[in-house]
Amino acid sequence: MKRSVWLLLILALVVIYPLVFTTPFLQRLGALVLLYAIAASAWNIVGGYAGQVSVGHVVFFGCGAYASMAFFTHFGWPPIAAVPVGMMASVGIAALIGVPTLRLSGHYFSMATIAVAELARLIVTNVEALGAAVGLSGPVIPRTVFDLSFTSALPYYYLFLAVLLGVLGLTYWMENSRIGFYLRAIKDNERAARSLGVQAGRYKLYAYMISAGLTSIAGTLYATMYGFVDPESGLGILTSVKILIMAALGGAGLLFGPLVGAAILVPLEEVSNNLLGGKGAGLTFVVYGAIIMIIARFYPSGLLKLLLDRLAAAKPAPSDKKVRDVA
Amino acid sequence: MSMSLLQVLIGGLLLGAVYALFSSGLTLIWGMMNVVNFAHGDFVMIAMYVAFMVWKLLGGGPFMAMPVAAMMLATLGIIVYFSLVRHVMKGPMLAQILGTFGLALLLRYGIFWTFGANFQSLPENLVGGTYDLWGIRIQASRLLAGSLAIVLTIALHLMLTRTSLGSKMLAVAEDSTAAELMGIRPDRMQAIAWGLAAGLTGIAGALIATFFYISPTVGETLAIIAFVTVSLGGFGSITGALVAGLLIGVIESLSGYLIGAVYKDIVVYTIFIAVLWFRPQGLMGKN
Amino acid sequence: MLLEAIDVTKTFGALTVVNEVSVSIEKGDILGLIGPNGAGKSTFFNCLTGDLMPTSGRVILNGEDVSMMTPEQRAVRGLARSFQVPQTFETMSVLENVMIGAFLRTSDPAKARRRAYEVLDLVGLADVASAVAGSLGTPGRKRLEIARALATDPEILLLDEAMAGLTATEVRHAIELVRKIHQTGMTLVIVEHIMEVIISLAQQVIVFHQGHQIAHGTPQEVTRDPAVVTAYLGKRAAATAARGFAGDQS
Repeated sequence: MKRSVWLLLILALVVIYPLVFTTPFLQRLGALVLLYAIAASAWNIVGGYAGQVSVGHVVFFGCGAYASMAFFTHFGWPPIAAVPVGMMASVGIAALIGVPTLRLSGHYFSMATIAVAELARLIVTNVEALGAAVGLSGPVIPRTVFDLSFTSALPYYYLFLAVLLGVLGLTYWMENSRIGFYLRAIKDNERAARSLGVQAGRYKLYAYMISAGLTSIAGTLYATMYGFVDPESGLGILTSVKILIMAALGGAGLLFGPLVGAAILVPLEEVSNNLLGGKGAGLTFVVYGAIIMIIARFYPSGLLKLLLDRLAAAKPAPSDKKVRDVA
Repeated sequence: MSMSLLQVLIGGLLLGAVYALFSSGLTLIWGMMNVVNFAHGDFVMIAMYVAFMVWKLLGGGPFMAMPVAAMMLATLGIIVYFSLVRHVMKGPMLAQILGTFGLALLLRYGIFWTFGANFQSLPENLVGGTYDLWGIRIQASRLLAGSLAIVLTIALHLMLTRTSLGSKMLAVAEDSTAAELMGIRPDRMQAIAWGLAAGLTGIAGALIATFFYISPTVGETLAIIAFVTVSLGGFGSITGALVAGLLIGVIESLSGYLIGAVYKDIVVYTIFIAVLWFRPQGLMGKN
Repeated sequence: MLLEAIDVTKTFGALTVVNEVSVSIEKGDILGLIGPNGAGKSTFFNCLTGDLMPTSGRVILNGEDVSMMTPEQRAVRGLARSFQVPQTFETMSVLENVMIGAFLRTSDPAKARRRAYEVLDLVGLADVASAVAGSLGTPGRKRLEIARALATDPEILLLDEAMAGLTATEVRHAIELVRKIHQTGMTLVIVEHIMEVIISLAQQVIVFHQGHQIAHGTPQEVTRDPAVVTAYLGKRAAATAARGFAGDQS
């Protein structure tokens, strides 16, 4: 079928990208695109598929990042070993937020996500064991390959690609299983779904918990690559914003939407930071704010959907029978 | 009760009244059209900068800044309603939340880009000095802010419940289709609500600027305080917002006094989570 | 007894909308609920489905007290319903709509798909299975709603004015469908305005008026009951009825 040919082609391009574009800058850029695509794809599960807008998703990212750096700092473990711990903490926090709020209107959930993320940041800033305002670092000199401390961006690129494929695979499987169908139904018409026995609150919670765990993995990967985390990078609202905007711009609720969003915004941010320097960071977020508003107002389904719709409209009309009114 | 504790309590009540003032606009909008303005805190922040500029350019104090800020913010509110909110209200939740969230970012980083990250502040003696009432020290600026805030919040409540404009707005909140059939234009009422809510943030911001530091990031904390206040007070309830605001102000002050200034935000956010778990309908709401 | 309502009362503030209504429904029954607008039949219906909880009184399903249970919980226990204004999943296909219902009894998408096709065959929508629900007209949507509810494998199906907005021909087709469903062993509760439907389908009828149950019997008994005629048409018509009449009236 045509679709899988396209996908294989794109996969091949993605795989050979760092071998063709070998400058450290471009390799690192590629790795960053993949890293944010992982986080944005994880967000997509709750924000896109389940329709629950988390604006505090950084808290899960931070769980993963801090868990890995803390486990190295306090126990000398390779940071990656802390992945299960980060995930458990994330899933726990997701339950803390989700259980009371997912049965109420969507606004409560969104407000709660910001509040909890900020709360986490404030707490961590005041806890010495977690580095307080200074943050925590990972291994300066790698002891084994498991420390995942590489000088070149190339190994990170392929590691992140493997994880991204895993996340996309999980999302695809979910899309086509009962939970996926139920989430679409809940998003479309929650009242009707409930009349059919669908426990809406529960399924939204599952989506949120899965999303939280996967986002935590992205946080751990981030920490291994940067070798460092602090309250701003690991728990700051800007990371929540970036993850969210990438998924929404590309297409929330679509499998590849977040990847499209990351592929556009990560290079854009690098370019604008380089061009505008320090104060330019403010301008970048002014632009992000404007982009988010434009998406909300005009293209809430995202760019990928826009593209797919244009392509579908360009095809000749299908020949199967017209839907007639059935009495 | 020791004098310093009493002082802390009164300080908390005065600050809480200001919280109530700007939160009442948020709860009004939420009650009327089921939209939460994620940029609400940043509206207050903008008003604070307006107050700063009024002082810097015209040498004026809060009595000049309040009307200016109120008008500017009210205009902003109405523009935002017509260009954005009116459309996203009818759409999916993602569009609704992203809409005002994007606005928050735009405002916050617009100010950051224009003014830089440094704190600004208005001179301390802009509004009198510090009064000493029976051993309790109260800053004149906070006294002004708190008393004016209570008066205005109550005025808002009375406007909604006693005037014909208010009952039209409540009708739209209750059932906009029915209201339309009665000849009320929901669109117009909602725009007025947005203008009103934003105007109130203007006044609140101009008042806060007289005793608090001014920076682009205050909006975020204020937004969360507004969320806690409206959740605790109950969706759509102005009187709830008043009670909750005062309560939050007092709790925040007490925490700062008893545990340390660093922890007062933590206490307030934790209260929020507790409210969501145990009483999401708030003190006066009836979800 | 499959479904029983015992002295179900629903008040909103000072207003009593449903006043101590009781009914027992046996397996295989078709119960009709009729009455003028605002008479309380829809509110009573919603107390049966779980969209509302009764202020007092009880709803018993298969011996279990479900009065305080949510619609989801009742669906699991075999109670399914359709909506007066069709609430189909507009962005999903006809097949997918029905699959959502089928997923209540299986987590396997392939099984759900098979079951969905079976149900679509029964209601006559199989040939539009891949069409988007939003593209169907009102009769199609109503039929889809019923199919979707049937896919949950219920013991009792509650239809909320399923015939509203249909043309006379469409109503006749819909009546045939309901009969067909009944013949598979389904128990039904139908809220309706259209007399023709109630008379053709229902075996027992409850007539609502101002929150009270003013008549209870077969369609024939109920349409001749003077209290019923008064409620619907006023005292003069009741006098005419007392002199005897036959046939349809709306």
